[in-house]
Parts: sequence; structure tokens; C-alpha cells
Amino acid sequence: MSDFAAVSDLAVGSKILETLSVLILLSAFLLMANKRINSYIKSFRLQSFLIALTAGIMGIRSLFNEGRWDILIVCVLIIALKVILIPARLSKTYANVRYKVEKDFIWNIPILILVCCGLVVFSYFTLAGVEGISGESSNLQLVNSVSVIWIGLFFMISRKKAIGQIIGFLVIENGLYITAMLVTHGMPFIVDLGIFIDLLTFVMIMGLITFRLNDQFDSIDTDQLKNLKG
Amino acid sequence: MGFLLYIIPVIAVIIFFLVKENHYRHAVSVASSILLAVCAGALTFRVIVNGVVIYPMLGGFFYLDALSMVILDMVIIIAFMAAVFSVGYLNEEKRHGQLTDKKIRLYYILMYGFVLTMILALTVKNMGLMWIAIEATTLASAFLVGFNSDKHALEAAFKYVIICSVGIAMALLGIILLHWSSTGVLTDASYLDWTALSAHAGALKSAVLRLAFIFILIGFGTKAGLVPMHTWLPDAHSQAPSPISALLSGVLLNSAMYGIIRTTAIVNRNLGSNDFTGRLLIGIGILSIATAALFILTQKDYKRLLAYSSIEHMGIIAVAFGLFTPLSIFGGLLHMINHSFTKSLLFLSAGNIMQKYDSKQIYKIRGVLKTLPVSGPAFLLGLFAITGTPPFSIFTSEFCIISAIFKESTGWVYTGMRLGMGIAFILLLGLVFAGVAVTLFRMFYGSDTNSLYPAVKDISIADRLEQSEPSEPSETADKYLGNSSAAAVKPGETNKAGALCLIILLITILISGIYLPPGIRELLLQARNIVMGL
Repeated sequence: MSDFAAVSDLAVGSKILETLSVLILLSAFLLMANKRINSYIKSFRLQSFLIALTAGIMGIRSLFNEGRWDILIVCVLIIALKVILIPARLSKTYANVRYKVEKDFIWNIPILILVCCGLVVFSYFTLAGVEGISGESSNLQLVNSVSVIWIGLFFMISRKKAIGQIIGFLVIENGLYITAMLVTHGMPFIVDLGIFIDLLTFVMIMGLITFRLNDQFDSIDTDQLKNLKG
Repeated sequence: MGFLLYIIPVIAVIIFFLVKENHYRHAVSVASSILLAVCAGALTFRVIVNGVVIYPMLGGFFYLDALSMVILDMVIIIAFMAAVFSVGYLNEEKRHGQLTDKKIRLYYILMYGFVLTMILALTVKNMGLMWIAIEATTLASAFLVGFNSDKHALEAAFKYVIICSVGIAMALLGIILLHWSSTGVLTDASYLDWTALSAHAGALKSAVLRLAFIFILIGFGTKAGLVPMHTWLPDAHSQAPSPISALLSGVLLNSAMYGIIRTTAIVNRNLGSNDFTGRLLIGIGILSIATAALFILTQKDYKRLLAYSSIEHMGIIAVAFGLFTPLSIFGGLLHMINHSFTKSLLFLSAGNIMQKYDSKQIYKIRGVLKTLPVSGPAFLLGLFAITGTPPFSIFTSEFCIISAIFKESTGWVYTGMRLGMGIAFILLLGLVFAGVAVTLFRMFYGSDTNSLYPAVKDISIADRLEQSEPSEPSETADKYLGNSSAAAVKPGETNKAGALCLIILLITILISGIYLPPGIRELLLQARNIVMGL
């Protein structure tokens, strides 16, 4: 019980949340440094777990302070969806379209990591320049979580395989989620629920499309998708 | 009454799952779209009389005012046209052995799912729920875009889902920031509710709101096909089956635009002027028109050309809302209506042309006026209409927007700049007209019987092979020269009900160019006042 009380204490809670937001950013870097699709899925699972942890802490806090259950339910949903269901689904897609390991990224990994550092600096300076944001206590958390969005976007650009792009999108979604969580203490519950449904449908549809791409093009390399032009 | 709008498509989808025979599916589809139209008619009447339709159920998330009603009516009317047209279209495709019964079922399930998500996007008053519905439109239509399931369609579907989802994700960031700008102003129950946001617009944090607007413009702009983010649009619109292209172009783009309009209204109210939103919207709008004009000039595929024309018209609408004067907003709303009618007319008749000639390449098609006695003239007149020729309705709305550019002062636009902008706008519209005339009008000349390249069903297999590997026109011409004894396309319409749809659409755009019924006028004026915040 005393642990819960400590977590629900605002000052300590903020420190923990700040640490978690840094860890989530680090997991995005980790993802960028991965070479194989299997390890993409693992990194994504780790990141989702960290987000579920954040949601859990915030949920306990809001339960003690305001008596709201919804963030805790969201935490359970994140674990069910992003930690268990979606990675499993992606692994299945990957098993169906298994291809020979080849060079998958546009530049080599040290350069990609450097660009990611640049993205963090970029989001720091853009957000620090906006009045109304710069003075707030959630500044660092906001910079971290918005950086995750940009890194997700860059991950999509840097990988050539369809599954890499799906994971990039999921990381963008994670970044958005953690931004909403830390900055505005969560969206209304029904909105969260709808976002989860959309996300699940997205993964299923993209899994199917990837499978068909593999059928038609004998690979899931998106570089081959350039028949439609002009 | 309002909830019937959700219930009817859901029931239709369930019936599609259950029934086995094709003609029942067709009947259910047409019947449910007629029911939807009846509901929409009744709701429109209530909106004109009462101003808003709102139900207390489920926290009052169902909300209809004149602005959403205008676009909702579009969705339902075009969905009706597409449903009627689909009957003949799918039967014809099936006759050519392109479709199985199972695929027809899938088509209808996805089509009504798609319509349902669009209805949902337009009838909720919560920005978050609207975002979900708009993302769901992408997901519901992904397999419709990739419906032909060849390489091209699959490529289009992949790009469509990836680009639109990432774009829409940016809009979610914008909505999160919008939510943040309202913390401390709104209470728990009214989070992200735009009626509340617009009522308390003055108290929102301006700096955060500006950032939110940029992200929402990028996000919904991707879905609306505004220029730097438009790359998915020509692929998706040219690969989807024609009735779906009509829905995508005539309706889906408007639904995304609707999100931008709502946000623009809130931001302008907060900042007290349209300086900020105006610059962005007009810049992006002019860029869209210019890019579309260039691509139209060099286009070889008529469905792609129509897709670029949609980008152009979204640009025009963006300029209209960027100007933010009473006249320009009225013109912009009218333009949305006219564009969806005209573009559906064009895509549906293009569908008939495509089934007749089995090709999307302009150079392979000759003598459309003779071979297709209804679709041919409808396509020709529709092309005149879409380029803004009087007496068609698009001329009226473009005229409103152009006179708004020249006439009314809009704050940040100085006289000289306004003059330059207006001239550039008119020149670009002229360029689009020239582009359409140069590239498309040759389809109508000549007769197919003495054509150099008789595009016929007999060579359709060769054609299909060729479509997967685009080759140079000269090569194909040589190939066909040696084959000039091939039989020509038989004249005559195959899709009778579809032809009737085309005639109805044509009459509508002709009449509304001259005379606007007082009910619609009243609705548009109410919608304008909502955008202006009056």
C-alpha cells in the first residue's frame, strides 16, 4: 500500500514518468539500431511494455486522486494489444513471407542513429520556441515523446521492407499515444478505445496486403512498388 | 431518425454476409441506399428548420448542423448513385469473368462499411471520434482500392494505406495539441467537443492552437489530397473500381476537408483574424492547383487525369476557405457540392468507357460519342463542367470564389497581392481547361471502326498483359497496325441503370448552375454562418 501512496505522490510520480519517457525514447533508438525484422518486433514489444507501465502508473495515480478507472483499463488494453496480440500477428506475417536476410536500410546504422539524435535536437528546439509550451513542467516529456514520433517516421523511410514500414507506423502511434498520455493526461476514454480498434484493423489489413505483395512481387521490398507514376 | 443512418448500413452489411444470390445483394444495396436517402432527406428538413439535430444519448455525441448536413447529403446521394451504378458495373465485370460471386459480396460489404465510416465521421461532434472515423475510412476502402488484386491495384492499396495512415497520424498529433490548448478551459465531459471549443475559442492557448492547426492541416490535407501530400491519390483513384472512385473523389475528399474547415473556424475565432490560417490554406491551395494543372497537361491515363482534377478542386476549396469572407465560404461550400456531383458523373462514365474499351490509356480510345450514346456525351459535357464552363454549376461556384478574391478585403492580403493571386488563379484554371482539351478531347473524335488502334475485347488479353508492363505508344501502334482486321467495339450502352444515373447527375449540375433551390440555399447560408461563427 505504501508503494501506491508513493506513486500517487505527485513529485515522485513525475520523476518516474520522466524516467520512463526517456526510456521510451531510448527504445526508439534501439529499434533504429536493429538489423533484423525479428528484433524489430521485439523492440516494439519492449517499447509498448514501457508505455503500458507508464499508463499503469498514471492509472494508479488517477485512481487514488480522482477515482477514475479508465486509464487502468487502457493499460490492460495496451498490454493485450500492443504487447501480445500485434507482435504475435506481425511475427505470423513475417513467418509467412520469410525472405533471405539482405541489407534492408538506406544508410548504415551509425548514420541512422546520428540522424535520430538530430531529430531529438530538432524537436527540442521547435517545441522550446513555442510560447505556452516552453514554461510548462511537461516540457522534457513532450520533447521525448514527440521525438519518438519523428523517429518512427524516419524508421519508415529508412527501411525498405513492408513489415519495417508497418512497425514504423506503430512506433508513430506509440509516440502519439505517449504524447497524449503525458501531456494531456490521456484522451477521453472512448477516443482511446476507437484508436485501439483502428490500430488493430490497420495491422490486420497491412498483414494481408503484405502477404499479397509477397505473392505478386515475390518479395516485400517496397522499392518494387514503382509501376504507377505520373 | 439519426441513428438509422448507422443502423441501415450495419444491417445491410449483415445481410450481405447472409445472402447467397447476387440479385438479392444488388436489391439490398439499392434498397438500403434509398432508405439512407430518405433518412437524410428528413434530417435535412429538420436541420433547415431547427438549426441543429442532437440526441442526448451516449453523451450527446451525435450532432448535425448545417455544415455537416451539406456534406452528409453529398455522401448519401453519391452513395446512392454508386449503388445503382454498381449493379450494372459488377454484372458486366462478372460477364467478362473478372469477378466471382464471393468478390461481389466482399465489394458490397466493404462499400457499405466505407459509407458507414464516412457517415460516422460527419455526424459526431468530438474531434477524436471524427479522427477515428476518418482513419477507419482509409481502412475500410483499402481493399476496395486494391479490388482488382493485380500488381498495380496492390501497389495503389499499399501506398494508400501507408501514406494516408501516416498523414492521419499527424492529424492525431494536431488533435492532441488541440486538446492540450483547451486544458483548464473545458471540463471533462466536453473535451475535444468542437461546439465547446468554438464557444470558448477565445480562452484557448493561441500558440499551441497554431501548432495544432498546422498538424491538422497536414493530416487531413493528406486525406483531402492537397499537394505535397497528394501522392497516393492518383494511384488509388485510378486503380479503384469506378463507383468507388466516384465515392473516393466526390465524397471522401470532402469529408477530410470538413475536418480542416471545422478546425479553421475554431483557430480563426481564437486568433481573431484569418491571417494565419489564410496564408497556409491559400498557399497550399494554389500549389495544389498548379501541380494538378501541370500533371493534367501531360497525362496519358484518363482516370489518373480525373484524379488530378480532384486535387485541383480541393485546392480551389482550400483557397476559398483561406480567404474566409462570406462570399468565398459560400462559394467554397457550393463548390464542394458541385465538385462531388460532377466528379461522380465523370468517374461513373469513365467506368463505362473503361468496360467498353478495356483500357485506361487515352490514345487507345476513339469515337466515344458513337460507341457509347449516353456515357460518351455525359463524359464530354462533364469535362466541360469540371473545367468551369458555363452554364454548369462549377462555373457558378468558381465565379463566387474569384469575385471574392477580387472584391472583398481579407485583412492580410494587400491589393496588389490580391490582384496577382486572382490572376494566377484564373490563369491556372485556364491551363487546366487547356490540359483537359488537349489530352482528353481526342477520345471523342473519329469513329472506332476505322481507328488505327481498335481497342477491342478480342485483344483484351494482350492488353492486360501489356498493362502490367507499360510500353511506348509507337510500339503498340505498330503491333495494332498489323492487326487492323480486328473487329471494332460494338456501339451501345451495357449498363442501363447506370446510364440513367449519368443523365440524372448531368441534369442536376445543369440546373444547379442556373437555379439554386431555396432549401439548399438556406442550408448553405446556415453552414456559412457556422463557419464564420455568426
